[in-house]
Amino acid sequence: MSAKLDTAISRRSFLKWTGAATAATAVGARTPVLHALVPSEENTASGKVEQHFSVCDMCLNKCGLIARVEKGVVTKLDPNPKFLKSRGMLCARGNAGIAQLYDPDRLKYPLLRKGKRGEGKWQRLSWDQALDYAAEQMKKIGDKYSRCGMLFSPGSDMQSTFVHWFAEVFGSYNVTTHESACLLSRNRAYLDTFGEVPFSDVLHSKYIIMAGANRFEALITPDSIDLMSTKKNGCKLVVLDPRYTKTAALADEWYPIRPGTDMAFFLALTHVIISEKIYDQTYAAEKLYGLEQLSEHVKQYSPEWAENECEIPAKDIRRIARELAAAAPIAMVYPGRRTSDYVNSTQIRRSMAILNGLLGNWDRPGGLLAARQVGLSKVELPEAPWYEDNPDDRLDMGRAHMMFEEEGSFKHMRDAIIEEKPYPIKGWFVYKHNPLQSEANRQRTLEMMEKLDFVLTVDIAMSDTAWMSDLVLPAPSYLERQDPASGLQGSSACACVVTRDPVVAPLFESKPVVEILQGLANRLELAEYFDFSIEGYRKQQLRKLPDAERALKKDGVYYNPSKLYGVYEGKVYKTKSKLIELYNERYAQMGVPPLPVYRSPRQVPSGRFRMVVGRNAYFTHCTTQNNALLHELMPENSLWIHPKPASALGLKEGDLVEVGSAAGTGELKISLKNGIRQDTVYMASGFGVLSKDLTNIYGKGACIAEILEDYSDELSGNMAMHETFVRVTRKVA
Amino acid sequence: MKMQLAMVIDSSSCIDCKGCMAACKVENNVASGHWRNWIKLQDPDFYNQGLQGDASAMHFQPGNCMHCDNPTCVQACPTSATYKDDNDGTIKVNKKLCIGCGSCIPACPYGARYRHPEEKVVDKCDFCERRRARGELPACVTTCPTKARTFGDLKDPNSEVARLLKSNKTVKVFNRQTDTQPNIYYMSMTAPIDWPVKAETPAAIQLWKVINPFVYGFVGLNVLGVLAMLGKQLLIKDDPPEAEHK
Repeated sequence: MSAKLDTAISRRSFLKWTGAATAATAVGARTPVLHALVPSEENTASGKVEQHFSVCDMCLNKCGLIARVEKGVVTKLDPNPKFLKSRGMLCARGNAGIAQLYDPDRLKYPLLRKGKRGEGKWQRLSWDQALDYAAEQMKKIGDKYSRCGMLFSPGSDMQSTFVHWFAEVFGSYNVTTHESACLLSRNRAYLDTFGEVPFSDVLHSKYIIMAGANRFEALITPDSIDLMSTKKNGCKLVVLDPRYTKTAALADEWYPIRPGTDMAFFLALTHVIISEKIYDQTYAAEKLYGLEQLSEHVKQYSPEWAENECEIPAKDIRRIARELAAAAPIAMVYPGRRTSDYVNSTQIRRSMAILNGLLGNWDRPGGLLAARQVGLSKVELPEAPWYEDNPDDRLDMGRAHMMFEEEGSFKHMRDAIIEEKPYPIKGWFVYKHNPLQSEANRQRTLEMMEKLDFVLTVDIAMSDTAWMSDLVLPAPSYLERQDPASGLQGSSACACVVTRDPVVAPLFESKPVVEILQGLANRLELAEYFDFSIEGYRKQQLRKLPDAERALKKDGVYYNPSKLYGVYEGKVYKTKSKLIELYNERYAQMGVPPLPVYRSPRQVPSGRFRMVVGRNAYFTHCTTQNNALLHELMPENSLWIHPKPASALGLKEGDLVEVGSAAGTGELKISLKNGIRQDTVYMASGFGVLSKDLTNIYGKGACIAEILEDYSDELSGNMAMHETFVRVTRKVA
Repeated sequence: MKMQLAMVIDSSSCIDCKGCMAACKVENNVASGHWRNWIKLQDPDFYNQGLQGDASAMHFQPGNCMHCDNPTCVQACPTSATYKDDNDGTIKVNKKLCIGCGSCIPACPYGARYRHPEEKVVDKCDFCERRRARGELPACVTTCPTKARTFGDLKDPNSEVARLLKSNKTVKVFNRQTDTQPNIYYMSMTAPIDWPVKAETPAAIQLWKVINPFVYGFVGLNVLGVLAMLGKQLLIKDDPPEAEHK
């Protein structure tokens, strides 16, 4: 099935549609609806032109797009103007999707390692040989160490769900995902306050405090775009960040907060709001649990006390508290995404969630939103088999207080594999996931891999993790793939369903991971669990949405007009107390502070710097740095350092330095930045690669995963990536 | 002119995501190391303002060829390959006539032109002519997340650009010594504004332009002139790419 646009309107001249397009400007998406007027095929001088709907996979947002295909070649990706979640846009990465599809560095056929890991010597295999070999290795490990002897890392694209399913039917609970390097601490904090993980109604907000989130660079749809719209409508944006990010640059107020002290700021805001009684007391009496304990708890956290910790003047803290309270509930402390920063990052986010709860910034316009109904149905599959000899729990169980069972913690999993405690893991199945670049302490990940007898990576190009694997299988890009349906919530923009059909046929010998898993299942006597086609799978997903298939064909997206605000009207919260939990009883029972207790972060030792992590709009984690187009936007990373400490070290712009920690070192050039604290340095992720087959970036910049030490959040097991202190020394070239 | 295609840009909406640059590059096959459009940036003055407080001093400013009414690039072109289109008011390069002499490159105050290293002719923004022929907006306009760029015909009073110009204070960015009368307008304020340079027309071209009217139609001399420029082109090395790439 092809998702080709089927609107057939004859070609119109530019002038004719200018007026029509202006009239057709949709609410929310400010792009004129032009593509709907464009015919699906036309015979131009350059030959046949086709247009296909698809959904971007350059990051995790899944923005709707229209691919132009000329003579079988994808020549341009444009935003789908009817795609409300992204407000009809496509960013630099979205545009660079073509460079991923036609990347000369792509994996072309199955490769079996010859020589040592990382030597780059490979033998080409046929698919049959490769799948036979993989199945044999996995069976061997399963027989010897139980099925839990295999670890699965399913990545995060629209086929990752099949890797999760394969792990389940193969019989392993040992699955780690990208999430434990990302947002688990935020999820934990909001689940333990509101009973669910919220979305943010940025578009309608009047006052937003953004602490540590960089929404104008780390693009999240629709939040990033809505943030500009709401600013234009008069919303005030206050940003706390040790670094002058583009979000800080465009904020109304920016405070270069002392890293790791955000909790002090939010506890002090809470202190002011409670002591001045500037919250809705009726709402509080009705919806909040533990206000009394919170009031008592925050007495100690005055703005004057907080000023000493976070270096934000007490008078500003007091003013911001009053402004925020005055704007509430059409206001928010933005929950953020990547919250893998400190050893107490869940408790830091709890302090933000509690403040949102206190002000009632929840389930109403301009605040935080509950999940909306998308309406996809669960696909009926046979019950997964039971393996008698399996251990009781996943390997990393119990290493942090409140880990998520589905995601676990990569850091704790890695420790447990190295220690072989409580049982050994000897095999690893990796799909489009690259822990050697994304997880702090690369040496430790390499040490973990030493323990493994068999590592299989499925990816589009030779990532560092693929480079260090035993068997590497080529996957197609999203433009060559048929995918199941996926439900998305776009904050107040929409609740929608998207899917993908191939825009062009798969290149080289690449195979989608679902086919690889089917091939393995057939060889491991698990064929019955993978006896489905994507088409059939999707039909099942959409069975309760009668209009969806037609809408997906016509518009490239299906919208479910489900309830947006007031989802909790007449309903209880999914917490122990059935209320919004300022005070968490479960924490108390487990010996975890039930209210966030402030701990001052470790002081940066003299002569060292705190390393912080952050995104720009060109790179998704560590996956798009080698993309030929995006590579031009940033050919290598550099170390951001303030001119004052740099000059004390005798460094000038562009000098080569060595950055080192207890975990490892890297060499890169420096960029003098006035907009970074003097005690802090920053570098972009994804450089300093091991893989020589990433030809644009091999030998360029330094790898942040090599330099970061592997601290983790005490509660969620999320990686804590702002706890590393580094030395910076001049390197004579 | 029947039309004057133009852009009105709200640079205060720009988040510097480079979506417009990537979209343009793909749409127009712009050579590696070169761009047809850009985002200029004004850095804040932390030394005078300190780290804290009003951070609004940073400003991102998207731009591209300004499709000027007084195009110094057209004046600098010895073969009339560069011209202002009578129909839509855009500045075009007829690649069949372009001899790649590069005279127009320093004649543009905005640095909007580059010599294509493979095609050996000058390349620049054409407001996505091929897209317009299909009834689409320029790639940079369509892709922009915050819709900072608005595109249309200034001469059509019902167009969005005309409406914006009428109802808003707009500014233009130009060099005081060379006001080329650009057709890119910025809403209310923009920064930086000091970056356009004085247009430089090579002496040979200036001379040629003086002689040219007298010999217009004198084919032999014209061909000689073209050959002279061709010879000059062969002596000029390609511009080094701006960024390192494969």
